[in-house]
Amino acid sequence: MVIHPERKAQRALQRMVGAAGVPVEVAADAASAAIDDDTIVIADAAVALSRQPARAWIAVPGEGLAAAEASIVAGLLESGCDHIIAHPMPVLSEELLATVQKLLKRDVFGLEKYLTWSADVRSYTLEDALERDVVVSEIAREVVTMGLPDRVGSLVSVIADELLANAIYAAPVDDRGERPHLGTARDQSRSLAGRDAVTLRWATDARYVALEIRDRWGSIDPAACGKRLAKAQTSAGGMGLPLAYACCNQLVVNRAPGALTEMVALLDVRYKPTELGRAASFHVFVGEAP
Amino acid sequence: MRLDVQVAGNRVTMTGRIDDSATFADLPARLPTSEIVIDTGGVTFVNSIGMREWIRLLRGLRETGRRVRLDRVADVLITQMNLIAEFVGERAVTISSFHAQYVCPACGAESAPLVDAVANAPLLQQMKVPAMPCPECGAQMELGDFPERYLTIFKG
Repeated sequence: MVIHPERKAQRALQRMVGAAGVPVEVAADAASAAIDDDTIVIADAAVALSRQPARAWIAVPGEGLAAAEASIVAGLLESGCDHIIAHPMPVLSEELLATVQKLLKRDVFGLEKYLTWSADVRSYTLEDALERDVVVSEIAREVVTMGLPDRVGSLVSVIADELLANAIYAAPVDDRGERPHLGTARDQSRSLAGRDAVTLRWATDARYVALEIRDRWGSIDPAACGKRLAKAQTSAGGMGLPLAYACCNQLVVNRAPGALTEMVALLDVRYKPTELGRAASFHVFVGEAP
Repeated sequence: MRLDVQVAGNRVTMTGRIDDSATFADLPARLPTSEIVIDTGGVTFVNSIGMREWIRLLRGLRETGRRVRLDRVADVLITQMNLIAEFVGERAVTISSFHAQYVCPACGAESAPLVDAVANAPLLQQMKVPAMPCPECGAQMELGDFPERYLTIFKG
């Protein structure tokens, strides 16, 4: 179900979603849209702020499908919206189709869903918490070696560092649901074997640089996560995830509760940052661990 | 590269990474009580833990009555400082110059030249940056990102 007040935007969105091979209905407002628990709703951001029960809501930019204002994205994050697309065309189109397909196929994990077939995926498994620095430096070096600007290498290192730190120190939970490693000194060695295993994969297809970080805990709280990201200006505490979000163009949380959290961060390397949305897109998917 | 901190009189020069290993706890004691100038032009990486330490350092210096002037603020640091509420609006620190990402619309080159924040103060307060020549083709470069990522802390 596409809900958008502009007829031109309705047509464009209908075409994009239609590419997923499913019937698409359109409506100008929520009141005239038939929505049930099985409906995937693609709606103008203002409409998506007051959501009703559905299978999923995907918020897209409003007027003219131009980039969404940062304040609108913040409002959607605060309200717990699971799918927020902030960017204008053609990024909107790519992101929307990938989101719809992931929801329809219930196949959510893997950075490959955002890249073309030609991308060479590189993989790292951390065996000790102290390897974080080495891995971060290595992928930043690889990114620049591939001809991407230093600016991108710098953003990649911040994102990788923060998401790896989350996977190593924030993801593990004990029997009481507490997070025993949150206060662990970052210069301490700790084996990352078994359930503590953390992996990083990354690739670029010259459209995006995609980073994927996995832990085996599936303990992330997406609602709390959205609220933290909503604060454009952060306080000093707990700013790792907001910082990673601020550095990327799309942050995707894929989770199998209790089993796996996969964070995918995408950096668009085709366009100048000013040609994209001021805020990054954000998605939360739930699926079965592969 | 770990963070290297050099102190010469009232000038502190930082080079390397402000990350989990960076600690500034003993730094204020090594500094005079007058104005402190901190040069971070050689900083290459800042993560959230490093940012926390940086905030503590600036807060600590301010609380002991020192005036702090930031010189050659690294691109990776100025963008993160613009995300922190403490640095915005109150003019908590004085910035004399900073690096910003520029892009050349003619040849596509990217670079991070030094912006003089004193000479360009009126412009920065209007969330605008001075024009810079491209080091490769000489054309006029433009800021490579949204102005608020760099200039919120200068906003009038």
